[in-house]
Amino acid sequence: MTSLYHWIFFLLSVALLPVLVLGTIRKTKARLQNRIGPPLWQPFYDLVKLAHKGETLSLTMCGVFRLSSIVVFADILVLAWLTPWLCFKPWAPEANIFMLVYLFALARMFTLLGSLDSGSAFGAFSASREATLGLLVEPAVLLALVALGIFFGSSDLRVIFSLSSVSTFVSSAIWIAAGLAIFFSSLVELSRMPVDDPTTHLELTMIHEAMILEASGRNLALIEFAHALKMCILFGLASQCFLRAIPQFSTFNIYAQAGLNIAGLLGLAMFVGLLESLTVKLQWRKVPEFIAYILSLSLIASFTAIGIGAIK
Amino acid sequence: MTITATEICVLTAALLACLMVGSLHLRVNLWLYSLSTLCIAAATATSALEHSEMGPIFIAILIALLKSVAIPKFFSWAIDKLHVQRDLGAMVTPPLAMHAAILLFALSFILTKEIPSPAGSVNGWFGAAGGISLVFTGLLLMLTRRLAISQIFGFLVIENGIYIFALTQTNGMPLIVEMGVLLDVLVGVMVSGLLLFKIQKSFEHIDVAQLTQLKEY
Repeated sequence: MTSLYHWIFFLLSVALLPVLVLGTIRKTKARLQNRIGPPLWQPFYDLVKLAHKGETLSLTMCGVFRLSSIVVFADILVLAWLTPWLCFKPWAPEANIFMLVYLFALARMFTLLGSLDSGSAFGAFSASREATLGLLVEPAVLLALVALGIFFGSSDLRVIFSLSSVSTFVSSAIWIAAGLAIFFSSLVELSRMPVDDPTTHLELTMIHEAMILEASGRNLALIEFAHALKMCILFGLASQCFLRAIPQFSTFNIYAQAGLNIAGLLGLAMFVGLLESLTVKLQWRKVPEFIAYILSLSLIASFTAIGIGAIK
Repeated sequence: MTITATEICVLTAALLACLMVGSLHLRVNLWLYSLSTLCIAAATATSALEHSEMGPIFIAILIALLKSVAIPKFFSWAIDKLHVQRDLGAMVTPPLAMHAAILLFALSFILTKEIPSPAGSVNGWFGAAGGISLVFTGLLLMLTRRLAISQIFGFLVIENGIYIFALTQTNGMPLIVEMGVLLDVLVGVMVSGLLLFKIQKSFEHIDVAQLTQLKEY
């Protein structure tokens, strides 16, 4: 019976949380600009509107363009099932760290293929940028997760996030460092503010938005929803890491854990809104430096984990 | 394996110093130095509580006031006077230098593992590692910077490292020695500040990379 509830809550949050997170970011930005802003559910209405629109396809496209959005959507759904971004999750098979990272890479690869297939200059331009960013940010994400893996002695994320281990000062430090690394690299991965401005009107500087420039109608709705769900997964993973740093977290009951989890997710979304209102976009040449700072957080986390392992 | 409050303070100070290598902005460096030194003051205070002595508390307050408030204030004033905001950086880019600093931080744990800690000291290994790491970081800071003012920051970080090493490897130094060291640092900073202004006046820059060239007047 509990597993049924888990399934219901899980499916509901997969359907609703992406919309809510996007809405929260937009609302925060609007409030900081002294606007009332669109309602929280506006992304949902946008998706519905997009789903009813007709689709325009360029003559140069082959089947890859249509295929890519479907593959990305399916891939992100599988990731949502495997990644421990929520406390209440139905049964899932082993979630290996390396498999997860490369499933994210698979989604990225198909987005790239789709944008190259569209034949537009902007698509190719942003695809090259996205590939560069992906190359740079992958070691940071991987090292952050591997640090957790070393500390808990398993490469299975179910074991790492199982709440069974005792909490010490050092484990809290590792959780926070890894959470920060995952959060900041998710900003790169989702091409959000310090790296790329998703709301700019200039296609020349955009990364993700320029890649999906040629998509329209249902295709665009699918891509937008997959992107929002990916944001949810990554922010959820980061907020889970931060919550694990609280020593008493494993003693809370399941409702408190779930509530804190969702509050943490929305809190990170609000923080992103704040970041996008207050900071300016980094120069393209400065982005590798930003990623290098993230990498140093992961390095700290993994060295601490290795050190603690050596003492034990 | 338990970790004492002193060790936490020392390791935080070492990590903050590692972050110093990652930024070329002089003011950011000053803030990080100030925070790192505050951690060292806290380490002094907690270690005094562990040994249940009251003398070092006085030293801790003195370090907090002098090294983490007065010296950064002095350099902040010097930065305004010299009209420099950021270092130019030499040889390696700051993020890579920071990775090197973190690697050295990890290396210092291996290096100090075999150091025999004296009888009665509770912060042997981690304290020594933090101290050695601070010395490495200071050296790295001096190697990868071009402005004379950053060289002084590197020197100050090394001085912090030596102090931490002495603090954690002994059962407390005499009060008079600690005060002497503090006075030395203060005088050193003042003299180096004077030198900075002198270099600025005669060369119209404080770039040490260009100081090797001969100049005719």
